[in-house]
Amino acid sequence: MSGGPAVRVSIESQCERQVQEVSLDGLETYVPPLSMSQNLAKLAQRIDFDQSSDSEQDGPERESREPWSKPEPEEDEGAVKFQPSLWPWDSVRNNLRGALTEMCVLHDVLSVLKEKKYMALDPVSQDPIQTPQVFQLISKKKSLATAAQLLLKGAEKLNKSLAENQEQRRQRDFNSELLRLRSQWKLRKVGDKILGDLSYRSAGSLFPHHGTFEVIKNTDLDLDKKVPDDYCPLSVQIPSDLEGSAYIKVSIQKQSPDIGDLGTVSLFRRQPKAKPGKTWHVKLEAAQNVLLCKEIFAQLSREAVQIKSQIPHIVVKNQIISQPFPGLQLSISLCHSTGEKRSQRASPEKSKPDDHLYVLEHNLHQLIREFHKQTLSSVVMPHPASAPFGHKRLRLAGPMAYDKAEISSLQQSEGLLEKIIKQAKHIFLRSRTARTIDTLASRIEDPQIQAHWSNINDVYESSVKVLITSQGYEQICKVLSFSVKRP
Amino acid sequence: MGVTCVCQVPVAEGKSVQQTVDMLHKKLEQLGAVKQGNFWVDCETYQATGNATGQPTKLLYVMHNSETPLSSMALFEGGPGLTADANFDVLMVKLKSHFQNAKGHKVESRGTRYRYCDFLVKIGTVAMSSSARGISVEVEYCACVIPGDCWNLMKEFMQSFLGSSTPELPAVFTSKAEGLYAPVDCMDTMSQYLELFGKVRKQQVLAGSGVR
Repeated sequence: MSGGPAVRVSIESQCERQVQEVSLDGLETYVPPLSMSQNLAKLAQRIDFDQSSDSEQDGPERESREPWSKPEPEEDEGAVKFQPSLWPWDSVRNNLRGALTEMCVLHDVLSVLKEKKYMALDPVSQDPIQTPQVFQLISKKKSLATAAQLLLKGAEKLNKSLAENQEQRRQRDFNSELLRLRSQWKLRKVGDKILGDLSYRSAGSLFPHHGTFEVIKNTDLDLDKKVPDDYCPLSVQIPSDLEGSAYIKVSIQKQSPDIGDLGTVSLFRRQPKAKPGKTWHVKLEAAQNVLLCKEIFAQLSREAVQIKSQIPHIVVKNQIISQPFPGLQLSISLCHSTGEKRSQRASPEKSKPDDHLYVLEHNLHQLIREFHKQTLSSVVMPHPASAPFGHKRLRLAGPMAYDKAEISSLQQSEGLLEKIIKQAKHIFLRSRTARTIDTLASRIEDPQIQAHWSNINDVYESSVKVLITSQGYEQICKVLSFSVKRP
Repeated sequence: MGVTCVCQVPVAEGKSVQQTVDMLHKKLEQLGAVKQGNFWVDCETYQATGNATGQPTKLLYVMHNSETPLSSMALFEGGPGLTADANFDVLMVKLKSHFQNAKGHKVESRGTRYRYCDFLVKIGTVAMSSSARGISVEVEYCACVIPGDCWNLMKEFMQSFLGSSTPELPAVFTSKAEGLYAPVDCMDTMSQYLELFGKVRKQQVLAGSGVR
């Protein structure tokens, strides 16, 4: 046809889906198309497994009987015609059928077995491996022997080391003892002798005692006899004047001294346990203590003689007596016992109560150690080459124009003896003050007096708080606080 | 360390220096003062060399005081001062090329030291090349370091034994930037001594009519 405008032709595909329902507003709902798995299921459902196998078997027979049974194949063809459309699934179908058969058989067998009436399981008997018994025995023996050998070796080693330790502990080799000695004391070798130093010189002491001890090897050990328990292959020989033990006895007595009694205080209050076989450690320590006590006493007696005081100090043999207060006597004595004389144990000192002031003895030791430290103190060293020796602050004395009072406060002016006397004075004053306050408090009933002594005291100062209260009157309360100071 | 006042006491009419000094001692002892040793103060003169011509040579005074035995004080007249260690004298020897020691100009004052409660009184004979030229009296009130607070007390005390020779407030205290209420320094004492020594030196010059 020519001429005319083009006509729009709309082509619509045929609606392949079935309409499920038509709603009231005209909307058509289609049946959703089958998915692949649904399609497959539909097809698989149409498989008739029973009919197909019969039809297969009968297939060739039917073909042979074809000439004389024509009407039958027509019916069968209808059924057979059904098969070619399922041909791709044929093998699948066959396999599944076979698997199903086998599973059914297995299931049946197992169920029959379970009942145990008609069928039973029996293991298949195998031929046993025949090994000769002798061979077994030999191999077992060998393996046991190896194990036993290892264990024996280990046990032997342990035994050996244990025996060695015990032997060592008993015999205590000289060199190991020497090593131990050297770890604690200063030793040096002079020629073929080994000498040591037990003085405090390296710690700052200026005492002229040499303090040398000698180390000796003990060779008088008889190996055949049993080794004694406290045997030591090393022994030390200390200077003869440092033997024994010593201590400084400081005591305050009220009565004035009897001139005849002076110089008799050399007896020991404490019993020294003098063992004949003291180890070197104990011996050296005791000797060092004796040396320190000697130094303290020497310093005290030097000061007692040199320093002028109002009441002179008396120095007799090993005792220094001074009078801090009139009627009060302070005696400092060096008690040195060599441990040999035991006959003088019976002494009149025993009957008196023990008035040895341990505090002052301890303080004496502390003071002498402080004095040692001062000679070595870092305050003195290092110092500039142009400055004189002395306290570091003294270098400021020039530029800061210190006057004499300030300079003397920087320099140590008090000696050991003065300090100890001051401390003794303080102890006496404090006890007397306490006694006075207590007597007053017990005697006076109204007002009430209470004394609280402070726990923290100085060697030269103590403080006490005295509360004087009147019962029933809360406002009236006088508090006295005073300190017993050094004069 | 307290407020010090240094003054010069004129020699009494018809008496020698020593006799005046003894008189003062007696007065103090009557007052109740206690003798407490000796004291000395000395002053050395150093001339600065190498300065421009036309300008007067600067004089450096190095002084020592027995109250501060470990110190040396160096000061210019009216100028800055320095307090140093006793090794300063050795240093001056090393600085010979810059500071020449005028050996004839060494002045010193030696005498006794009295203590009366908080007061320290030092009566010294000022001597130049071992010839007594005058008397110096130093009164120190140890309890205070502010001159403004204690000047009246000191004046009263000095009047009790010095009588008419009591000095006025020393110029060093008034010339300070902070005034009378600045704490004292050892330099103040030394400046006062320097003034006194200068006066004594000039006196001798005048008396000796130009002969040094």
